[in-house]
Amino acid sequence: MSETSSADDLAAAIAACERERIRTPGAIQPHGFLLALSPQFAVLQASDNLAQFAAIPAEQASGCSLAEVLGAANARLLESRLATAQRHERPAYLATVTLANGPCDVQMHEWDGLLILEFEPAAGSGSDSADPQRLYALVGTFLNKIGATDSLAEMCELTAREIHDLTGFGRVLVYNFDEEGHGTVLAECIDQGYDSYLGQRFPASDIPRQARELYIANRIRLIQTADYTPSRLLPAENPLTREANDLSFAALRSVSPVHLQYMRNMGTAASMSISLVVKGKLWGLISCHHAQPRHPSIHQRTVCEQLGQILALHIKNRADADELQFRLEVRRAMVSVLGGLTQGADFIENLRSVLPELLRFARAGGVAIVIDDRLIAFGDTPNEEQIRALADWLGANAYTDLFHSAHLGKDYPPAADFAQNASGLLAMSISRIHQHYLLWFRPEHVYSIDWAGRPDGKHAAGSLQLSPRASFEIWRETIHGTSTPWREGELELALEFRTALLGIALERAEQMADLAEELSHANKELEAFSYSVSHDLRAPLRHIVGFSDLLLEAGGANPDPVRQQRFLVNIKESAHLAGKLVDDLLSFSQMGRAALRPIKVRMSDLVRSCIDKLGPDMPPHAIEWQLEPLPDIVADPAFLQQAIYNLLSNAVKFTAKKNPAVIRISSEQLPGETVFHVTDNGVGFNMDYVHKLFGVFQRLHRMEDFQGTGIGLANVRRIVERHGGRVWANSVPGEGATFSFTIPHNV
Amino acid sequence: MLKPILLVEDNPNDLELTLIALERSQLANEVIVVRDGAEALDYLHARGSYASREHGNPAVVLLDLKLPKVDGLEVLAEIRNTPALKSVPVVMLTSSKEEQDLIRSYELGVNAYVVKPVDFQEFVRAIADLGIFWAVLNEPPPGSHRYVKPQ
Repeated sequence: MSETSSADDLAAAIAACERERIRTPGAIQPHGFLLALSPQFAVLQASDNLAQFAAIPAEQASGCSLAEVLGAANARLLESRLATAQRHERPAYLATVTLANGPCDVQMHEWDGLLILEFEPAAGSGSDSADPQRLYALVGTFLNKIGATDSLAEMCELTAREIHDLTGFGRVLVYNFDEEGHGTVLAECIDQGYDSYLGQRFPASDIPRQARELYIANRIRLIQTADYTPSRLLPAENPLTREANDLSFAALRSVSPVHLQYMRNMGTAASMSISLVVKGKLWGLISCHHAQPRHPSIHQRTVCEQLGQILALHIKNRADADELQFRLEVRRAMVSVLGGLTQGADFIENLRSVLPELLRFARAGGVAIVIDDRLIAFGDTPNEEQIRALADWLGANAYTDLFHSAHLGKDYPPAADFAQNASGLLAMSISRIHQHYLLWFRPEHVYSIDWAGRPDGKHAAGSLQLSPRASFEIWRETIHGTSTPWREGELELALEFRTALLGIALERAEQMADLAEELSHANKELEAFSYSVSHDLRAPLRHIVGFSDLLLEAGGANPDPVRQQRFLVNIKESAHLAGKLVDDLLSFSQMGRAALRPIKVRMSDLVRSCIDKLGPDMPPHAIEWQLEPLPDIVADPAFLQQAIYNLLSNAVKFTAKKNPAVIRISSEQLPGETVFHVTDNGVGFNMDYVHKLFGVFQRLHRMEDFQGTGIGLANVRRIVERHGGRVWANSVPGEGATFSFTIPHNV
Repeated sequence: MLKPILLVEDNPNDLELTLIALERSQLANEVIVVRDGAEALDYLHARGSYASREHGNPAVVLLDLKLPKVDGLEVLAEIRNTPALKSVPVVMLTSSKEEQDLIRSYELGVNAYVVKPVDFQEFVRAIADLGIFWAVLNEPPPGSHRYVKPQ
């Protein structure tokens, strides 16, 4: 048989083993007998060894009453107990009956509609220690002792010793299953003549999957002797379900012949195992072996089960405490990393400053950060090229949040080249968009395993049928290319860390965006400002030079006094305009910088003071002011006065040709804001150009028609917007204009 | 009859200086002055107050960039987007050599872009050169003799 086909055969045989119906063997171990009763206590089934214990053969038991099978006295006892006993799916002690060959302990459980009674001879193997009174006192003592242990190993040792003393089994092992199901012997208590298995590993294949499941449900099982002939149930099917009885919880359940062979190969006649279930998982087993058949009593077994549960509870508490402590440490490291990350403005530089904490966080030997072209490596890591290739591979395989491996060479073959530094990898993507990674590396952790026989030992060469392994010789295996595993707590905290990290990155990005927007806003204003300076300020200078040149050349030839006079006026006005432009620009730029100091403002007074201030500049035409009562508001009075002044002087300017000019100031209340209107009956403007009205140095009229630098309304807008309000205007050309602005109630 | 030159200028001082410069270049073309971009478009489209003007496009449009209502760039864009006006030469006159204005003007198909010099003599020379090139050299009217600039 070739190696490949034998491997295939092995897989097939293991699969067959996993399919074996261990819950419904249809038989029991023959050291006791079984009766299945109807809810009315009529016997429906019996094990075929009934005749060894009772007066009636199994074939005739079906349909009989308990009295007919066990005698009137026993039947009365059982029936009275059955009437009052609580019914569980796990066997519980019911009574002790007296049969022809001695007393029998009876356990009862209810399953599939049947009351299942299991009878076992009452005399336990360890005569003295079988006394229930003494036994239950033992549990109390054990509780005290286990509370005083310091370590997991000590706990397990204590339990092994107690069970050894209690049951007299020659070898008691406590072992723990790892993630892959391999068992490691943590503690043992052995008599002389028994091989030690301490520290050895038993391969996962020793216990088939469905057996593990059953071990979780049913916490204790006993095989009194590996050399037994199963006692079949008669009739073979549960008469209520018409199916083979489910004996999952039956104490006498007959076991797989493969397992019996395994025991014989191991040199064990009797075995008992107690499940250690921690958080719903089969954490381990207490496994007891004895070279000769052994029969611990129901009470002894109950106490063993209780000791197992106490141990499991302590393991859980201990694991919880350890895990808690561990997570606390990791979290502490995480907090210090996160604290460091919010220090400066540059995210990557921040990461660089917390590299030692990052190492500590993941208990790694090396860490690398890959962000675009930047690569930061710290500690023991692969080289830059290898890290980049690894990041590409991660990206290509779309490992989004977290990727972890304690055997990187297996997942990513090129990693074999740097196994020494990085057999373990925890990779975290730190951007939702780009392939940016935070990588932690754990060094190779070379170790040896002492297998109790080769892990593939179930396969007996040359045989297609699965038979249990025959060799329990120590076989040492050296493991390369793996790191210490990544713990669940580490991965969970890493995910938490990632969320926090992305949060920081996101917040930073938003801050940058805000800043950029602010800058671009400021920049736009600056551009508008410099644009205006270069255009509007150059014009008067050019005019001054131009008219001066003309004056100079005209001075000689044929002087035209009227013309010369006009040029002089032009020069003077240009100089004046240049000065005013500089002033206006200055005040406009200050408007953007000065802080707002809002206080309560009496608008009526403020408007009146503006009208007074306009007095000296007032044109010769008559103005009818219509000042409606105005509310008090909260605003910066100096700024607001400038805005009102600009609006009123605009209104005065553009009504110069009206007689009388009418300017009305009114207000209205809207939810959350007050609106003010300045309405005039002046020339107005074309609504087509309303969008240009409030821009810097925008004019809708010719210079000589209406004087001004074109900055007044830009100022109004700026002042109002700094108060959080809005400005707008409406007009019908020739009929006048209304300028409106709002000031919010909460400035 | 020579085609007129359309001068679009809002600033009265610039207007006076430009007219003086054009006068000195001794161009025979009539100069039509409009004072903002909207009026310029009215003239070019022969609408509004220009509805009854003589038919035909100007020889060249001297267009100030910053204008009330409709600015120079908007006028230029409309000229280039109107089939009847598309081929009219447009010279942009501006106070400043702002790059964005320059780029925008050329994108819109300006024929020349002139920054008004502060020195008046230079300004006269620039206007004269422009007038000669666009009003005379570019499209010599049949029958008219070529203008020779006095040295």
